[in-house]
Amino acid sequence: MMLLLAFVLAGLGTYLIRLSGVMLLGGDRKLPESVTKTLRLIAPAALAAIIANALLLDGGAWRGFSAWHLAAIVAIGVALWTRSMGWTLVAGAAAFAGLLVLGL
Amino acid sequence: MDFAAGARAIAPLDPGSFLFGLAFGALVQVSGFNIWAGMSGSLLVVAGASQIAIIETLRIGAPLAIAVLTALVINARLALYSTALAPAYSAFPRRWKFGLAYLMSDQAAVISLNYQDRYPNPVRRRWFILGASLTFSLTWWLGTVAGIVLGPVIPSAWQIGFIVPLMFIALMVPHVKHRAEVVAALVAVVVALVLKDIPLGLNVIVAALVGIGVGRLVK
Repeated sequence: MMLLLAFVLAGLGTYLIRLSGVMLLGGDRKLPESVTKTLRLIAPAALAAIIANALLLDGGAWRGFSAWHLAAIVAIGVALWTRSMGWTLVAGAAAFAGLLVLGL
Repeated sequence: MDFAAGARAIAPLDPGSFLFGLAFGALVQVSGFNIWAGMSGSLLVVAGASQIAIIETLRIGAPLAIAVLTALVINARLALYSTALAPAYSAFPRRWKFGLAYLMSDQAAVISLNYQDRYPNPVRRRWFILGASLTFSLTWWLGTVAGIVLGPVIPSAWQIGFIVPLMFIALMVPHVKHRAEVVAALVAVVVALVLKDIPLGLNVIVAALVGIGVGRLVK
Protein backbone atom coordinates (compact mmCIF):
# COMPACT_ATOMS: atom_id res chain seq x y z
CA MET A 1 0.00 0.00 0.00
CA MET A 2 2.89 2.28 0.86
CA LEU A 3 4.29 1.66 -2.63
CA LEU A 4 0.98 2.50 -4.33
CA LEU A 5 0.69 5.69 -2.28
CA ALA A 6 4.26 6.66 -3.22
CA PHE A 7 3.46 6.14 -6.91
CA VAL A 8 0.22 8.15 -6.65
CA LEU A 9 1.98 11.09 -4.98
CA ALA A 10 5.05 10.94 -7.24
CA GLY A 11 2.77 10.55 -10.26
CA LEU A 12 0.76 13.64 -9.35
CA GLY A 13 3.87 15.69 -8.70
CA THR A 14 5.55 14.47 -11.86
CA TYR A 15 2.49 15.31 -13.93
CA LEU A 16 2.49 18.87 -12.57
CA ILE A 17 6.22 19.10 -13.38
CA ARG A 18 5.49 17.95 -16.94
CA LEU A 19 2.74 20.56 -17.31
CA SER A 20 4.67 23.41 -15.69
CA GLY A 21 6.59 24.92 -18.59
CA VAL A 22 3.93 24.20 -21.18
CA MET A 23 1.27 26.01 -19.14
CA LEU A 24 3.35 28.87 -17.70
CA LEU A 25 5.06 29.75 -20.98
CA GLY A 26 2.28 28.49 -23.16
CA GLY A 27 0.48 31.64 -24.30
CA ASP A 28 0.18 32.36 -27.99
CA ARG A 29 2.60 35.26 -27.75
CA LYS A 30 5.96 35.42 -29.48
CA LEU A 31 8.82 34.73 -27.11
CA PRO A 32 11.82 37.09 -27.13
CA GLU A 33 14.95 35.76 -28.79
CA SER A 34 16.88 35.65 -25.50
CA VAL A 35 14.29 33.19 -24.19
CA THR A 36 14.28 30.96 -27.26
CA LYS A 37 18.09 30.89 -27.18
CA THR A 38 17.93 29.63 -23.61
CA LEU A 39 15.29 27.04 -24.47
CA ARG A 40 17.54 25.62 -27.18
CA LEU A 41 20.24 24.82 -24.60
CA ILE A 42 17.91 22.83 -22.36
CA ALA A 43 18.04 19.51 -24.19
CA PRO A 44 21.84 19.33 -24.61
CA ALA A 45 22.49 20.39 -21.00
CA ALA A 46 19.90 18.05 -19.46
CA LEU A 47 20.92 15.09 -21.61
CA ALA A 48 24.63 15.65 -20.95
CA ALA A 49 24.01 15.76 -17.19
CA ILE A 50 22.10 12.46 -17.36
CA ILE A 51 24.81 10.87 -19.51
CA ALA A 52 27.54 11.90 -17.07
CA ASN A 53 25.52 10.61 -14.13
CA ALA A 54 24.61 7.27 -15.73
CA LEU A 55 27.87 6.57 -17.55
CA LEU A 56 30.69 7.91 -15.41
CA LEU A 57 29.05 7.41 -12.00
CA ASP A 58 27.47 4.33 -10.51
CA GLY A 59 25.22 5.03 -7.56
CA GLY A 60 27.16 8.20 -6.72
CA ALA A 61 30.66 6.65 -6.92
CA TRP A 62 33.03 6.68 -9.89
CA ARG A 63 32.44 3.83 -12.31
CA GLY A 64 35.64 1.83 -12.85
CA PHE A 65 36.99 1.97 -16.39
CA SER A 66 35.16 -0.70 -18.38
CA ALA A 67 33.23 -1.64 -21.50
CA TRP A 68 30.81 1.18 -20.58
CA HIS A 69 33.40 3.85 -21.33
CA LEU A 70 34.76 2.20 -24.46
CA ALA A 71 31.33 1.53 -25.98
CA ALA A 72 30.26 5.09 -25.16
CA ILE A 73 33.32 6.43 -27.01
CA VAL A 74 32.34 4.31 -30.03
CA ALA A 75 28.74 5.57 -29.82
CA ILE A 76 29.83 9.22 -29.58
CA GLY A 77 32.22 8.78 -32.51
CA VAL A 78 29.52 7.22 -34.70
CA ALA A 79 27.06 9.91 -33.61
CA LEU A 80 29.40 12.69 -34.70
CA TRP A 81 30.25 10.89 -37.93
CA THR A 82 26.77 9.82 -39.08
CA ARG A 83 24.61 12.35 -37.16
CA SER A 84 22.11 9.48 -36.98
CA MET A 85 20.32 8.37 -33.81
CA GLY A 86 19.68 4.88 -35.20
CA TRP A 87 23.29 4.17 -36.18
CA THR A 88 24.51 5.52 -32.86
CA LEU A 89 22.28 3.06 -31.00
CA VAL A 90 23.28 0.13 -33.21
CA ALA A 91 27.01 0.90 -33.01
CA GLY A 92 26.95 1.52 -29.25
CA ALA A 93 24.98 -1.65 -28.52
CA ALA A 94 27.14 -3.76 -30.86
CA ALA A 95 30.37 -2.37 -29.38
CA PHE A 96 29.12 -2.99 -25.84
CA ALA A 97 28.01 -6.55 -26.64
CA GLY A 98 31.30 -7.25 -28.38
CA LEU A 99 33.35 -5.95 -25.46
CA LEU A 100 31.33 -8.05 -22.99
CA VAL A 101 31.88 -11.15 -25.13
CA LEU A 102 35.61 -10.38 -25.11
CA GLY A 103 35.37 -10.33 -21.33
CA LEU A 104 35.97 -6.62 -20.72
CA MET B 1 0.32 10.30 -41.64
CA ASP B 2 1.92 12.36 -38.90
CA PHE B 3 1.13 9.98 -36.03
CA ALA B 4 3.00 7.22 -37.88
CA ALA B 5 5.88 9.58 -38.66
CA GLY B 6 6.24 10.32 -34.95
CA ALA B 7 6.14 6.62 -34.15
CA ARG B 8 8.82 5.98 -36.77
CA ALA B 9 11.03 8.80 -35.54
CA ILE B 10 11.20 7.35 -32.04
CA ALA B 11 11.20 3.67 -33.13
CA PRO B 12 14.99 3.18 -32.81
CA LEU B 13 14.60 3.99 -29.10
CA ASP B 14 11.66 1.63 -28.50
CA PRO B 15 13.83 -1.45 -27.80
CA GLY B 16 15.58 0.58 -25.09
CA SER B 17 12.23 1.54 -23.58
CA PHE B 18 11.07 -2.07 -23.60
CA LEU B 19 14.30 -3.39 -22.05
CA PHE B 20 14.29 -0.71 -19.37
CA GLY B 21 10.62 -1.56 -18.64
CA LEU B 22 11.58 -5.21 -18.45
CA ALA B 23 14.26 -4.35 -15.89
CA PHE B 24 11.78 -2.29 -13.84
CA GLY B 25 9.19 -5.09 -13.93
CA ALA B 26 11.77 -7.64 -12.86
CA LEU B 27 12.80 -5.35 -9.98
CA VAL B 28 9.15 -5.19 -8.85
CA GLN B 29 8.93 -8.96 -8.94
CA VAL B 30 12.10 -9.65 -6.95
CA SER B 31 11.51 -6.83 -4.46
CA GLY B 32 8.48 -8.62 -3.01
CA PHE B 33 6.07 -5.70 -3.38
CA ASN B 34 2.53 -6.26 -4.61
CA ILE B 35 2.84 -6.66 -8.37
CA TRP B 36 -0.27 -4.58 -9.10
CA ALA B 37 1.09 -1.70 -7.03
CA GLY B 38 4.41 -2.10 -8.86
CA MET B 39 2.76 -2.12 -12.25
CA SER B 40 0.71 0.96 -11.37
CA GLY B 41 3.99 2.89 -11.14
CA SER B 42 4.49 2.70 -14.88
CA LEU B 43 0.98 4.11 -15.46
CA LEU B 44 0.98 6.72 -12.68
CA VAL B 45 4.53 8.04 -12.90
CA VAL B 46 5.68 6.98 -16.41
CA ALA B 47 9.31 7.83 -15.62
CA GLY B 48 11.62 4.86 -15.20
CA ALA B 49 14.53 6.15 -13.16
CA SER B 50 12.22 7.70 -10.56
CA GLN B 51 10.11 4.52 -10.32
CA ILE B 52 13.22 2.47 -9.65
CA ALA B 53 14.31 5.01 -7.03
CA ILE B 54 10.95 4.72 -5.23
CA ILE B 55 11.19 0.92 -5.08
CA GLU B 56 14.79 1.01 -3.89
CA THR B 57 14.09 3.71 -1.30
CA LEU B 58 11.05 1.97 0.18
CA ARG B 59 12.78 -1.39 0.09
CA ILE B 60 15.46 -0.19 2.49
CA GLY B 61 12.73 1.08 4.82
CA ALA B 62 13.03 4.81 4.17
CA PRO B 63 9.96 6.98 4.89
CA LEU B 64 7.35 7.63 2.22
CA ALA B 65 8.20 11.34 2.04
CA ILE B 66 11.83 10.59 1.19
CA ALA B 67 10.81 8.17 -1.56
CA VAL B 68 8.44 10.70 -3.13
CA LEU B 69 10.89 13.59 -2.77
CA THR B 70 13.70 11.57 -4.37
CA ALA B 71 11.43 10.74 -7.31
CA LEU B 72 10.39 14.36 -7.77
CA VAL B 73 13.99 15.59 -7.74
CA ILE B 74 14.90 13.00 -10.37
CA ASN B 75 11.92 14.13 -12.45
CA ALA B 76 12.59 17.85 -12.03
CA ARG B 77 14.43 17.75 -15.37
CA LEU B 78 11.02 17.25 -17.03
CA ALA B 79 10.21 20.85 -16.11
CA LEU B 80 13.11 21.84 -18.36
CA TYR B 81 11.77 19.84 -21.30
CA SER B 82 8.30 21.22 -20.63
CA THR B 83 9.72 24.74 -20.82
CA ALA B 84 11.67 23.95 -23.98
CA LEU B 85 8.52 22.52 -25.57
CA ALA B 86 6.29 25.47 -24.64
CA PRO B 87 6.63 27.18 -28.05
CA ALA B 88 5.86 23.89 -29.85
CA TYR B 89 2.79 23.32 -27.65
CA SER B 90 1.53 26.90 -27.53
CA ALA B 91 -1.03 26.54 -30.33
CA PHE B 92 -2.39 23.21 -29.07
CA PRO B 93 -5.88 23.00 -27.49
CA ARG B 94 -5.83 22.57 -23.71
CA ARG B 95 -6.90 18.94 -23.75
CA TRP B 96 -3.96 18.13 -26.05
CA LYS B 97 -1.57 19.91 -23.70
CA PHE B 98 -2.95 17.95 -20.74
CA GLY B 99 -2.78 14.65 -22.62
CA LEU B 100 0.64 15.08 -24.20
CA ALA B 101 2.14 16.26 -20.90
CA TYR B 102 1.18 12.93 -19.30
CA LEU B 103 3.17 11.10 -22.01
CA MET B 104 6.21 13.39 -21.85
CA SER B 105 9.45 11.43 -21.49
CA ASP B 106 13.04 12.53 -22.05
CA GLN B 107 13.06 10.66 -25.33
CA ALA B 108 9.69 11.83 -26.68
CA ALA B 109 10.43 15.41 -25.59
CA VAL B 110 13.79 15.53 -27.33
CA ILE B 111 12.43 13.87 -30.49
CA SER B 112 9.64 16.50 -30.48
CA LEU B 113 12.21 19.28 -30.12
CA ASN B 114 14.44 17.85 -32.84
CA TYR B 115 11.56 17.60 -35.31
CA GLN B 116 9.52 20.69 -34.42
CA ASP B 117 10.87 22.82 -37.29
CA ARG B 118 9.70 20.20 -39.82
CA TYR B 119 6.13 20.54 -38.52
CA PRO B 120 5.16 24.22 -38.65
CA ASN B 121 1.46 23.27 -38.79
CA PRO B 122 0.31 22.80 -35.16
CA VAL B 123 -2.31 20.18 -36.03
CA ARG B 124 0.23 18.02 -37.83
CA ARG B 125 2.77 18.71 -35.08
CA ARG B 126 0.47 17.51 -32.30
CA TRP B 127 -0.19 14.23 -34.12
CA PHE B 128 3.55 13.76 -34.67
CA ILE B 129 4.25 14.34 -30.97
CA LEU B 130 1.40 12.01 -29.97
CA GLY B 131 2.74 9.29 -32.26
CA ALA B 132 6.21 9.53 -30.75
CA SER B 133 5.09 9.87 -27.10
CA LEU B 134 2.33 7.27 -27.08
CA THR B 135 4.26 4.50 -28.82
CA PHE B 136 7.31 5.10 -26.61
CA SER B 137 5.23 4.96 -23.40
CA LEU B 138 3.35 1.95 -24.73
CA THR B 139 6.59 -0.03 -25.09
CA TRP B 140 7.47 1.06 -21.55
CA TRP B 141 4.17 -0.35 -20.25
CA LEU B 142 4.55 -3.56 -22.25
CA GLY B 143 8.11 -3.95 -20.98
CA THR B 144 6.95 -3.48 -17.38
CA VAL B 145 4.25 -6.15 -17.73
CA ALA B 146 6.70 -8.54 -19.39
CA GLY B 147 9.24 -7.96 -16.61
CA ILE B 148 6.69 -8.61 -13.87
CA VAL B 149 5.46 -11.79 -15.58
CA LEU B 150 8.86 -13.13 -16.59
CA GLY B 151 11.01 -11.85 -13.72
CA PRO B 152 14.76 -11.38 -14.14
CA VAL B 153 15.18 -13.20 -17.47
CA ILE B 154 18.04 -11.01 -18.62
CA PRO B 155 21.31 -12.18 -17.04
CA SER B 156 22.87 -9.45 -14.93
CA ALA B 157 26.14 -10.13 -16.77
CA TRP B 158 24.59 -8.42 -19.80
CA GLN B 159 24.57 -5.13 -17.87
CA ILE B 160 21.58 -3.73 -19.74
CA GLY B 161 21.84 -0.60 -17.62
CA PHE B 162 24.17 0.61 -20.38
CA ILE B 163 21.10 1.37 -22.51
CA VAL B 164 20.44 4.44 -20.35
CA PRO B 165 23.58 6.42 -21.25
CA LEU B 166 23.49 4.95 -24.77
CA MET B 167 19.94 6.19 -25.44
CA PHE B 168 20.83 9.66 -24.20
CA ILE B 169 24.05 9.79 -26.24
CA ALA B 170 22.02 8.84 -29.34
CA LEU B 171 19.45 11.54 -28.56
CA MET B 172 21.93 14.32 -27.90
CA VAL B 173 25.20 13.96 -29.79
CA PRO B 174 23.87 13.85 -33.39
CA HIS B 175 22.04 17.15 -32.82
CA VAL B 176 24.62 19.22 -30.99
CA LYS B 177 26.06 21.67 -33.48
CA HIS B 178 26.29 25.22 -32.13
CA ARG B 179 29.13 26.27 -29.88
CA ALA B 180 26.76 27.32 -27.09
CA GLU B 181 25.19 23.85 -27.11
CA VAL B 182 28.59 22.17 -26.88
CA VAL B 183 29.59 24.42 -23.98
CA ALA B 184 26.27 23.82 -22.18
CA ALA B 185 26.70 20.05 -22.53
CA LEU B 186 30.35 19.99 -21.41
CA VAL B 187 29.69 22.24 -18.42
CA ALA B 188 26.74 20.05 -17.42
CA VAL B 189 28.99 16.95 -17.51
CA VAL B 190 31.63 18.58 -15.32
CA VAL B 191 29.11 19.93 -12.79
CA ALA B 192 27.26 16.59 -12.54
CA LEU B 193 30.57 14.90 -11.68
CA VAL B 194 31.86 17.58 -9.30
CA LEU B 195 28.58 17.50 -7.37
CA LYS B 196 28.33 13.70 -7.35
CA ASP B 197 28.13 13.56 -3.55
CA ILE B 198 25.18 15.90 -3.00
CA PRO B 199 22.07 14.04 -1.77
CA LEU B 200 18.87 12.90 -3.52
CA GLY B 201 20.44 12.91 -6.98
CA LEU B 202 20.28 16.70 -7.11
CA ASN B 203 23.52 16.81 -9.11
CA VAL B 204 21.71 16.16 -12.41
CA ILE B 205 19.24 19.03 -12.25
CA VAL B 206 21.82 21.48 -10.86
CA ALA B 207 24.28 20.47 -13.59
CA ALA B 208 21.65 21.01 -16.30
CA LEU B 209 20.81 24.47 -14.96
CA VAL B 210 24.46 25.55 -14.67
CA GLY B 211 25.14 24.20 -18.17
CA ILE B 212 22.27 26.24 -19.59
CA GLY B 213 23.45 29.34 -17.73
CA VAL B 214 27.05 29.10 -18.88
CA GLY B 215 25.99 28.18 -22.41
CA ARG B 216 24.01 31.42 -22.58
CA LEU B 217 27.23 33.39 -22.04
CA VAL B 218 28.64 31.97 -25.28
CA LYS B 219 28.03 34.09 -28.37
